[in-house]
Amino acid sequence: MSDKKITIEFNDGIVRKFLVASVIWGIVGMLVGVLIAAQLNFWQLNFATPWLTWGRIRPLHTNAVIFALVGNMMFAGVYYSTQRLVRARLASNFLSNLHFWGWQLIIVSAAVTLPLGLTRGKEYAELIWPINIAVTLIWVVFAVNFFWTLAIRRERSLYVALWFYIATIVTVAMLYIVNHLSIPTSFTHSYPLFGGVQDALVQWWYGHNAVAFFLTTPILGIMYYFLPKAAERPVYSYRLSVVHFWSLVFVYIWAGPHHLLNTALPGWLQSLGMTFSLMLWAPSWGGMLNGLLTLRGAWHKLRTDPVLKFFAAAVTFYGMATFEGPLLSIKSVNALAHYTDWIIGHVHVGTLGWNGFMAAGMTYWLIPRLWNKPLYSTAMANLHFWIGTVGILLYVAAMWTSGITQGLMLNATTEHGTVLAYPNFVDTVNVIRPMMLMRGIGGALYLAGWLMLAFNMWKTVRGAEPVNGTIEVFEDEPLVADEKITLVGTFLNPPVAFSILGVGFASAWMFGGDFVSIAGLTGLAICVALAYIHFESRGKKWADWYDRLLVNSAPFTILTLLAVVAGGLIQIIPTVAANNAANVEDRRQIPYTPLELAGRDIYIREGCYLCHSQMIRTLVPDVLRYGDYSRLGESIYDHPFQWGSKRNGPDLARVGGKYPNVWHLRHMENPRSVSTGSIMPTYPWLLTNVLDEASLTSKISVQRILGVPYPNWTPEQIATRVDEQAKGIALDLRSAGAYVDSDREIIAVIAYLQKLGQFEKVAPQRTVIAPP
Amino acid sequence: MPTKPLTPQPEDPIRPHTFDGIQEYDKRLPNWWLVTLFATIVFWVGYWTYYQWFHIGANGPQRVELAMSKIEAARLAANPTLDDASFWKMSRNPELVEAGRATFNATCVACHLASLRGKDENPAAIGPNLIDQVWIHGGNPTDVYHTITSGVLVKGMPAWGPVLGPRKITELVAYVFSFHKEGEPIIQAPPDPVVK
Repeated sequence: MSDKKITIEFNDGIVRKFLVASVIWGIVGMLVGVLIAAQLNFWQLNFATPWLTWGRIRPLHTNAVIFALVGNMMFAGVYYSTQRLVRARLASNFLSNLHFWGWQLIIVSAAVTLPLGLTRGKEYAELIWPINIAVTLIWVVFAVNFFWTLAIRRERSLYVALWFYIATIVTVAMLYIVNHLSIPTSFTHSYPLFGGVQDALVQWWYGHNAVAFFLTTPILGIMYYFLPKAAERPVYSYRLSVVHFWSLVFVYIWAGPHHLLNTALPGWLQSLGMTFSLMLWAPSWGGMLNGLLTLRGAWHKLRTDPVLKFFAAAVTFYGMATFEGPLLSIKSVNALAHYTDWIIGHVHVGTLGWNGFMAAGMTYWLIPRLWNKPLYSTAMANLHFWIGTVGILLYVAAMWTSGITQGLMLNATTEHGTVLAYPNFVDTVNVIRPMMLMRGIGGALYLAGWLMLAFNMWKTVRGAEPVNGTIEVFEDEPLVADEKITLVGTFLNPPVAFSILGVGFASAWMFGGDFVSIAGLTGLAICVALAYIHFESRGKKWADWYDRLLVNSAPFTILTLLAVVAGGLIQIIPTVAANNAANVEDRRQIPYTPLELAGRDIYIREGCYLCHSQMIRTLVPDVLRYGDYSRLGESIYDHPFQWGSKRNGPDLARVGGKYPNVWHLRHMENPRSVSTGSIMPTYPWLLTNVLDEASLTSKISVQRILGVPYPNWTPEQIATRVDEQAKGIALDLRSAGAYVDSDREIIAVIAYLQKLGQFEKVAPQRTVIAPP
Repeated sequence: MPTKPLTPQPEDPIRPHTFDGIQEYDKRLPNWWLVTLFATIVFWVGYWTYYQWFHIGANGPQRVELAMSKIEAARLAANPTLDDASFWKMSRNPELVEAGRATFNATCVACHLASLRGKDENPAAIGPNLIDQVWIHGGNPTDVYHTITSGVLVKGMPAWGPVLGPRKITELVAYVFSFHKEGEPIIQAPPDPVVK
């Protein structure tokens, strides 16, 4: 090796781009958040305008803060740290730029399509299919750029931050693709491949793990780089990194069903969701510990350094959120909290506290380094910290109070538990309105802090000279020097072999039944004992093997993928295989008529599912309030499922036939005319918009492909059916004194709402979907 | 909060390698953390055994069906025989009428309006007048009790029995009949024309 050194310049331009984009989109996303919070108190703020109405812009808020704020921040952090951790410039300028501009184009198209009501009707997966394809392609660009950089690295061993980045890239790709499988009916509309309980399971497998692998693992990676840098302290424990990384990525995937507790989801999945959520507590806290304990010996710096303030608070909020998560996953706690503001509070501890503060800390740390100029105002950054913290505390305290209050009111009974104490849903909403107002104030304070960040950044950066980091390396330093681990070597070693055996035995125990279960549990016990003995006597071998794994990025990635795939396969495959019309409980949904299907698509377009669930849980208060509990057969033809995740209004699973047609008409026109104190927006355009009948032909043919038993109607037959049913409803409305043309959208919406809860009795064939 | 940086204990093992200047200790995992991890794993085994393996614990549908049948029984047992005479008596009891007014204002005003005059006051209202003598579904207090409990779905009257329960419905009947005199003429409404 020659002693001649050359200087390598990092690609920090791309980091600057992503960082600025993150701050700007953060303003947009939070502004929309403050607006939708205010709309819940003041329905007038919906302005009777379709594209400003809550149901359409709530997805804009969630998509903007997740994919635009955190997404851009994550890419900035990943690109900055990776180049330094592997001592190599990003592999491709072209791919980096394509990644950046492609991602911004996706965000812009999301910001246009969502308010227009173009949606897939699944939370955090609303974007329409052409944008889905773009997201997938850009994610592949990111992956190629990242792994290519790993392949040309000068640093042989992979630092813990990179483990988390690898897990993020492979898992998000897997989750995103599976949950977005759809069949298009037009350029802007599609139906998801899965329906009913399958769709519910896949959606929350995705939704939960979007939190895990988009909002958690990349940010943990960022924490592992920026926190020790800012604190100038060693990371607390390497072995804690190892244990909490692998347990986190393995366990997280299984916990998705905790979003569906006490629903029609088969019991075994609910049990998995709850127990794995509890097992997730320690792995999550491993990350918090490694963050907080790294600050040991640097606490005095918190007094002056806003960056460390943000990091310390963010990690603390992460710890709070990941304690609260398992708590909320306990079925009895969930019975109180689910569908209420408590969940909203929980989510915002994570997003405002963990994601937002990590983003702020990282940004304040990066600005002086990327523009070679001290921060314009440290005092303002400190003020941002305090105003943001007060904002979070107001927000979260309000939502806890609100959620628990409303949950207790909704569950309260009187007369020896035989009658609901608060039969009117709207009464429980009006009680929490002061708390909802406080939430809006908290959110506005948080936004004010973020605006200070933007202003501070603007003042620092304006006129400053961007500067790129450099390192000196030996001219002929070999790029990678992997001791190759073969595919066999990847699996045939004590840690991996014991893990695979253990998961295999555990699965045999859980799903085998009879003797297989007993054998599985015995095998599991023996496997754990042997692993323990082996580790105690030959622990050095385990550590040596892991050191070797860390210099081999491909086997590392394969094992990460294996760890995250296991939970998904075991939950989804039996559900998909067993969920069909011939295998339901005792009830089967009656397919929608063409008019009802059209109404359903309008219901999805307006985002009704964001405030109204269609799932009566197996809980007495739910049954007292809404009727018999929902069976999984009753939504089997629903593509997408509409079980919902939040009740700002009552459940609608059995609303059909409960009110006359004219009630629904008046209610959509002005909810307060029939429901005093309602906070629902008005939907006057449904009374004037003409129903799009033409699209029903392709929609019904796609539904047929998906397995919904529609006859092979011609377009004329569909039109006749639509007209007949629509005229009947219009006639009924006229008899009640309301005059609406039968070709208006409202007629279809009424037809759909009146259908909800209709089913046919079938002989029970298998009572539950059980794994094979 | 210490004001001076702690010097690392000499026995702290530190990993030989650094990444971009970042060092790593290799400290033992905290015992309480390990105990938490193992406790949740043991809980998983126990929970799964209890609910999914041996099916000792009732599942959601079993639990809710059992609870609902108990509620049904309690409702049947608690319902005293109510006749017209006792309803008229209740309609003169201020406490019951006041309780009925509260329920009415929360539940019924949307369709029948606060004046109870419904369609007669505002043709756009859904519910009919409750203080005239024309009763569509029977004008005896027991008839009205039945109408509120079971509803008249074709006319848009929801079944309130499951939601409000017998006590609140009894109070509602008392409130409505506080606007009437015992023995006043009751006119059965003519059959409803389908289209006006």
